[in-house]
Amino acid sequence: MSSAHRILITGTGAVCGAGRTVESIWNLILSGKSAVAPVTQWDAQQWPVGVAAEVPASELHALVEDRRLQKMISRADLFGLYAAGEAIRESGLAAQRGTLEAPAAARFNDRSGVFAGSGGGTFRSTYEFFPLLTQAAGDLVAFGRDLETAVDPMWLLRQLPNNVVCHLGIRHGFRGTNACITNQCVGGAMAVAEAAAALRAGEADRAVAVGHDAPIEPETMLHYHNLGLLAPHALRPFDRSRAGTIFGEGAAAVMLETLASAQARGAPVLGELLGSGCVTEATGILDVLPDGEGLARAIELALDEAGVSPEEVGMVVAHGNGTQASDASEVAALRRVFGPAPPHVTSFKWALGHAIAASATLDLVMALRALQQGVVPGIATLDELDPALAPFPVSPNHQPLRRDLALICSRGFGGMNVALLLRAGSFRS
Amino acid sequence: MKARRRVAITGIGMVTPVGLDAPTTWVNLVAGKSGVDEIRGFDARGFPTRIGAEVKNFDPAHVIRDRKLLKFGSRAHGFALVAAEEAMKDAGLRPAPMTAARWGCAVGAGMMGVSFGEFQKVHAAAGADGEFHPDDLLDPEFPADPVGFCRSQTNAGLALLTRHFGIRGYATAVHTACASGGQAVGTALKVMRRGHADFMLAGGYDSMLNPIGLSAFCLLGALSVDNDAPTRASRPFDATRNGFVLGEGAGFLVLEDWSAARARGARIYAELAGDGNSLSSYRITDSHPSGDGPIQAMGQALADASMAPGDIDYVNAHGTSTLMNDRSECAALRVVLGDHIGRVAVSSTKSCMGHLIAAAGAVEVAVCALGIHHSIAPVNANLTKFDPACDVAIVRDQSRPLRIRGALSNSLGFGGSNSCLALRHPGEVAA
Repeated sequence: MSSAHRILITGTGAVCGAGRTVESIWNLILSGKSAVAPVTQWDAQQWPVGVAAEVPASELHALVEDRRLQKMISRADLFGLYAAGEAIRESGLAAQRGTLEAPAAARFNDRSGVFAGSGGGTFRSTYEFFPLLTQAAGDLVAFGRDLETAVDPMWLLRQLPNNVVCHLGIRHGFRGTNACITNQCVGGAMAVAEAAAALRAGEADRAVAVGHDAPIEPETMLHYHNLGLLAPHALRPFDRSRAGTIFGEGAAAVMLETLASAQARGAPVLGELLGSGCVTEATGILDVLPDGEGLARAIELALDEAGVSPEEVGMVVAHGNGTQASDASEVAALRRVFGPAPPHVTSFKWALGHAIAASATLDLVMALRALQQGVVPGIATLDELDPALAPFPVSPNHQPLRRDLALICSRGFGGMNVALLLRAGSFRS
Repeated sequence: MKARRRVAITGIGMVTPVGLDAPTTWVNLVAGKSGVDEIRGFDARGFPTRIGAEVKNFDPAHVIRDRKLLKFGSRAHGFALVAAEEAMKDAGLRPAPMTAARWGCAVGAGMMGVSFGEFQKVHAAAGADGEFHPDDLLDPEFPADPVGFCRSQTNAGLALLTRHFGIRGYATAVHTACASGGQAVGTALKVMRRGHADFMLAGGYDSMLNPIGLSAFCLLGALSVDNDAPTRASRPFDATRNGFVLGEGAGFLVLEDWSAARARGARIYAELAGDGNSLSSYRITDSHPSGDGPIQAMGQALADASMAPGDIDYVNAHGTSTLMNDRSECAALRVVLGDHIGRVAVSSTKSCMGHLIAAAGAVEVAVCALGIHHSIAPVNANLTKFDPACDVAIVRDQSRPLRIRGALSNSLGFGGSNSCLALRHPGEVAA
């Protein structure tokens, strides 16, 4: 691949139930502990599933200090702004921009993009209309008449799925190409893939890519439970006794730059995004193909784009959401691509919960950490590999990393499958 | 540098307040017929704004035979399926087993997943006193509806479209408020250029004409309150404009490789020639008075299309009919078009069909393609009082015959995302 097309990672940021630094989240995973705990956002003692990996309430407002802004954005937006802000900060690009004359700085900003994978709307936001509907006693004429005294005039602005794109632009001066991807679980992975594609196509010199979501709310938990998608206590990917997924929340972000952009200030390079693939299985909202056809195609597209062979992959961060169908088909997909002996496989949702639109960027940032440390973290909740899936190279114990290239798999509603290929690169550009 | 792949628009489908298909929509837009009326879908008499641009007499079952699929779809998803079906038929092209993986889909999806009916059910079960009580959802009597939940998912429309048409390649849903539809079409162009798909179904769909959606915009004071003159309420660039009119609908395009389209003898409406995409980074709901933000998007679209202002004959403006947008957009047009400002025809078709929010950008790209195809610049209806701040060559009074060599379609969203797409007449494409 020519150097003009290299997409480098120069900063990372993350927040989730396991912490609000990349280091603390990584350490929790390595220690074999999970952030899953009883839900605190409401009293869920009576609930069939009352656990999730939540960001503690005490940390929420430390994430974004601007109090006025806190009131204008959602919980998920707080996460996204924080994580992306951390990635931008770590990249050190603001200092470089500060040395530029005004026209060059304006050009710099116009060439800086923002890509978000956003969870979109919530059920809880509609509850702000409950007092009005109660007061109107079902009469829509009264509902319309009393609207302006009963509901916050800024209600809509807090619900905008693209708030993180907007406020990142305002806070950090980024004014270039942008996208807010609302493609459920794969939103974060697609934000990274689209940001990289924009840099390759010369639409921008640098872009921050963030996935953020806050899916832990009663209605969502109830529906997932009714669909048989939630485990009661623990998320055990690929395990014989796996019973479903468990929600997490948060955000993770990467600062992506072209080689020229990173070299302009000799930025430290943490890693390199080599390729991506995105396909749908056309199976509708909930179904997945049992043979993993879509995921296998997505991985092959990513390998093709990167120009690397399956043998070069040193670890796979599986989607591993702990549901029967997804895990089994994911194993099938990995066998299709890698044959009977895939590289070591791990996944992180057992520890961080499934943060939906944020899940893939959390996985990406943790995969980068794993590559840097040379270790494939164990899946601590794995008691016994499902015999129907064996042999499959997952382990409750840490495994050595043999090659410095990681594949990250992200799957979601709509038969969506996205694969990202990542290489560690601790060098100064 | 390798020559960039050229992309053709070969299929168009629309469901709008002025027509249930593209031909009807086009004829009514050209005639300047308004789709705005009193809201009839629910009792809006108590709201500050009681008018809207509703899609009338819509029944997706006339077009989409798959009843089960429709059950999983909302009203907006129905618009999407019908408009997409029309676009496929119009193109004479559909995914087949051999091509399915090379078909992609990019949609601008609306932000409202929860229907008012579902909301009322939750209110009755768990919020009747005005407060939300989570435990009440566990009552066995609570009619938790898994289908309603599926419908509410942000990518539900995308899932239904890809399933219905058997699209198995790249798929994405985007939302940048009013720029969503434009950004979806722009994404589709980029996906084709980078070779990730050979065919794209691209478009947008939305329906916020329900009590909560209407409330949301009423609260912001963004809507026209001309309840007694609905057909005159949306009057972009008029000195007396006082807000936008909320609409609903869908627009879809079939995009394919230019040479492949030529080889199969397809009718090509236009080349989708360039995409511009910028972030204003100014305020959430306001645009910069100078036009900063949209200026960059339009400039990029022109550059991306290898076009100059002199190549542009028509601009389909975002033109919402709010005081701020129209003034700021005209400022941007003056900067971008320069000496050509007095010559380039500008209109906002929102004057007839209202603001289709996440669908608007896609529908308006389709309008540009039809304008090129028919050599007509559609009218900007309801412009009677000149606003010096909007001193651009608005297509006033009636539509105008005009050979459109190149066109721009602007979509500028809440949150500051700006999308501009450039289209080129097939006759202007060098052989």
